Amino acid sequence: MATQIVMDHTGDARHHFDATDREAVAKAEERFRQLTGAGFTAAVRTASGDAAVTRSFDPTAEETLFFPRLVGG
Amino acid sequence: MSARSLLIASRRVGASLAQYIREVQAAHERYRARFATREARGVNLLREWLSPEQRAQFDAKRYFDVIGCDSGKRYRIHYGDITNVQEIGDDDQPSVGWCFLPEGRLVAGDVMLAQKIALETYEYSTLAVANRFPIRFSR
Repeated sequence: MATQIVMDHTGDARHHFDATDREAVAKAEERFRQLTGAGFTAAVRTASGDAAVTRSFDPTAEETLFFPRLVGG
Repeated sequence: MSARSLLIASRRVGASLAQYIREVQAAHERYRARFATREARGVNLLREWLSPEQRAQFDAKRYFDVIGCDSGKRYRIHYGDITNVQEIGDDDQPSVGWCFLPEGRLVAGDVMLAQKIALETYEYSTLAVANRFPIRFSR
């Protein structure tokens, strides 16, 4: 199962989907598009464990993390 | 109104007030429990995404260091969600503070994770939106 993790006021919301299920993948891709379109940054972990920002949906990514746009405090 | 009626009325007011206080206290406890859960979720997510070295440092000291991807500078991210990032100088001392965070109301663990990823993957763009502050005002 792949997971999209979206930071929110509750800590985070997790959306799991089966990467072999075309309908679930399409829904996950739409979620990716909507979040990044709204200014969220998407990040995945590389094989070495480092975080990398991604601008395109990768259905094979085990975890994709979304956090809101950064602003000065 | 007789003294007896006054006594009954005052007892009813007292009982209602006591019930109200109990309800307020219960609501406060529920809020505290929810807040603790949210905080814990944020810390759990942060720990999942930290490197083993950063996780060990965070567990021991409540902060962890990251290396900026563009400059190679070291930053220290303290537990918190505002004025919690310090740039570390060559003398291993904080030299300047940086304040930036994700929009919206997020818990500290989430804020720290976003700060880590930002500095490790797009440092200069992050600092361009951040506010710099003298270190004497930081923790």
